[in-house]
Amino acid sequence: MGDTHDAGAVVTAIGQVEAAAFLAREALYLDSGDYDAWLDLYTVDCLFWMPAWRDDGTQTDDPERELSLIYYHGRRNLEDRIQRIRSGFSVASAVMPRVAHMIGNVLAETIDESRVRIDSSFIVNVNDVRTHRSHAYFGRYEHELRLEDDTWKISRKIIRLMNDVVPTMLDVYGI
Amino acid sequence: MTKRFALRDLVDDRPQDGVFRVNRTLFRDPALFDLEMKHVFEGGWVFIGLSTQAENPNDYFTGFIGRVPIIVSRDGKGELRCFVNACPHKGVRLIQKLCGNASRHVCPYHSWTFDSAGTNRNIKWKKAGCYGAGFDEENHDLATVARFGEYRGFLFASLNPDVPTLDEHLGEARKLIDLVVDKSPEGIELVPGRVTFTYAANWKMQLENCSDQYHFTSTHPSYIRILDQRAKEQASEVVQSSIGAADFWQEDASGVTGGTFSFDHGHVLNWGVMPVSAALPEYEHAETWAALHGAAKRNWMFNMRNLTIFPNLQIAENASSQMRVIRPIAHNLTEMQTWCIAPRGESAKARSFRIRQYEDFFNPTGMATPDDTVCYEEAQTGMAEQQRPWLQGHARGLMASVPGGNDFGDMIDLKPAHSVLADAQLCDESLFGSYYRAWATRMTQALS
Repeated sequence: MGDTHDAGAVVTAIGQVEAAAFLAREALYLDSGDYDAWLDLYTVDCLFWMPAWRDDGTQTDDPERELSLIYYHGRRNLEDRIQRIRSGFSVASAVMPRVAHMIGNVLAETIDESRVRIDSSFIVNVNDVRTHRSHAYFGRYEHELRLEDDTWKISRKIIRLMNDVVPTMLDVYGI
Repeated sequence: MTKRFALRDLVDDRPQDGVFRVNRTLFRDPALFDLEMKHVFEGGWVFIGLSTQAENPNDYFTGFIGRVPIIVSRDGKGELRCFVNACPHKGVRLIQKLCGNASRHVCPYHSWTFDSAGTNRNIKWKKAGCYGAGFDEENHDLATVARFGEYRGFLFASLNPDVPTLDEHLGEARKLIDLVVDKSPEGIELVPGRVTFTYAANWKMQLENCSDQYHFTSTHPSYIRILDQRAKEQASEVVQSSIGAADFWQEDASGVTGGTFSFDHGHVLNWGVMPVSAALPEYEHAETWAALHGAAKRNWMFNMRNLTIFPNLQIAENASSQMRVIRPIAHNLTEMQTWCIAPRGESAKARSFRIRQYEDFFNPTGMATPDDTVCYEEAQTGMAEQQRPWLQGHARGLMASVPGGNDFGDMIDLKPAHSVLADAQLCDESLFGSYYRAWATRMTQALS
């Protein structure tokens, strides 16, 4: 593999420790409401996808022909989501829920020198401050990171939500 | 037996005085909720699914009529049937899966076995069972529902045999189902992927919201701003929107922008003019539909239409197309089962466009529905008010409502009980009267 390296490129391999740290940083940005920093983790052409469930046991896997809970191609759409949350015109975002992400079982797999796939499990505890109800969303993440200008960015994030019966609402900061 | 509730205390229906009011009790009383389940949901026709959900022999899907678990099964000969999803032996729910295909269903508890026509095929170790004669006289098959019927692929059932025929129940609303089904010669289908959510409020909040044009610009300004922005940008990577291309909801729109129709048995439609344009995924069929159905019906197939078939089916055709089933759980908890409903055989491009708009607008993980469901919950909290038990939310449009139809309905030969023609700001609430009159009819036995 090493014989095609461009001598000038900074190649920082991502191991388990770096992968877990990357995911923890994304979680920190969401938990602390630092949405600009969160958006900045994504490539402009990123895929952000949370499939729906077809039946008891299988998830949808063709977003062009099947329904997803969320499907965006392009960071621009995530920016819309953040704009709505901050707009002051969304009652669902008026009293912001407090969230805490817990991510574990992180497995990083190098695809090539500028791409890595990271599998992980998540629990997001959401306290809906408006109603004093708490709910834990859980499932698996599949991240793909891409090296852009010496910085690792999320080019793809698939969120496989296991408890998909949504109590009232679920927004991008809660998954 | 003394009846706890009197209709006159719940619904104040005095058309001669220009009054229609609904009491907060309808939303907040657990005892009244139990009566609703028995008399509204288990006492008359309810929607249970589409025939395409069990398309092939031995396909089945499960659900509920009120609190009663049911199976819709296509038997080995291809006939659709509907049973109570409970083994006659010990009452155990026979099928736990949402859907599947099986010619035999074996009860998990004691292995009583049924075929896809609901017939009992085996009682384990029956000969050795030393049963009395009375046991053999009992029917061991799955219990069938009292009434089961189909209109153009839409399946309905009633646990109460004493109901009008399905055709009578649906009445003129059948023509509005036709507008949905006629979008393809092959009919309609559910896009794979079901989305279920709950909200902590009464089921009638959703019932009303679907036909409530008044809330749109108030509840969804954050979404509308994004639509405006996207329309200006026309960037290829942003999700495009159909509803942004219409002006029926814009406060400065002039002339008739839509209106409402209400029908007997509680069915209602609110509608808005949508231009026949490429802003809708249907545009690829515009010419074909005009040739097949005539321009007037074609134009209606493009209009924004929110249809409720009382009490639990709603088909929203506005930003994309949604089929919703309302499942009340408690007086203050409701489950919504939702699907994207689409014409069969549409192009890959149109289907993808339909799906993208759907997710953004309709999903509980999208940018519009959460603002609705949060409002339902805030309404449920406010329903506790005691000093003024009558709500003020069913009065708009009372003076605009006329018996019968109008020129717009005449285009598709629609003969409603009442209709309202509206400008963008009228936002009729008088159509809710149809819900509560049907509600009162179903509740007759329970109320004094």
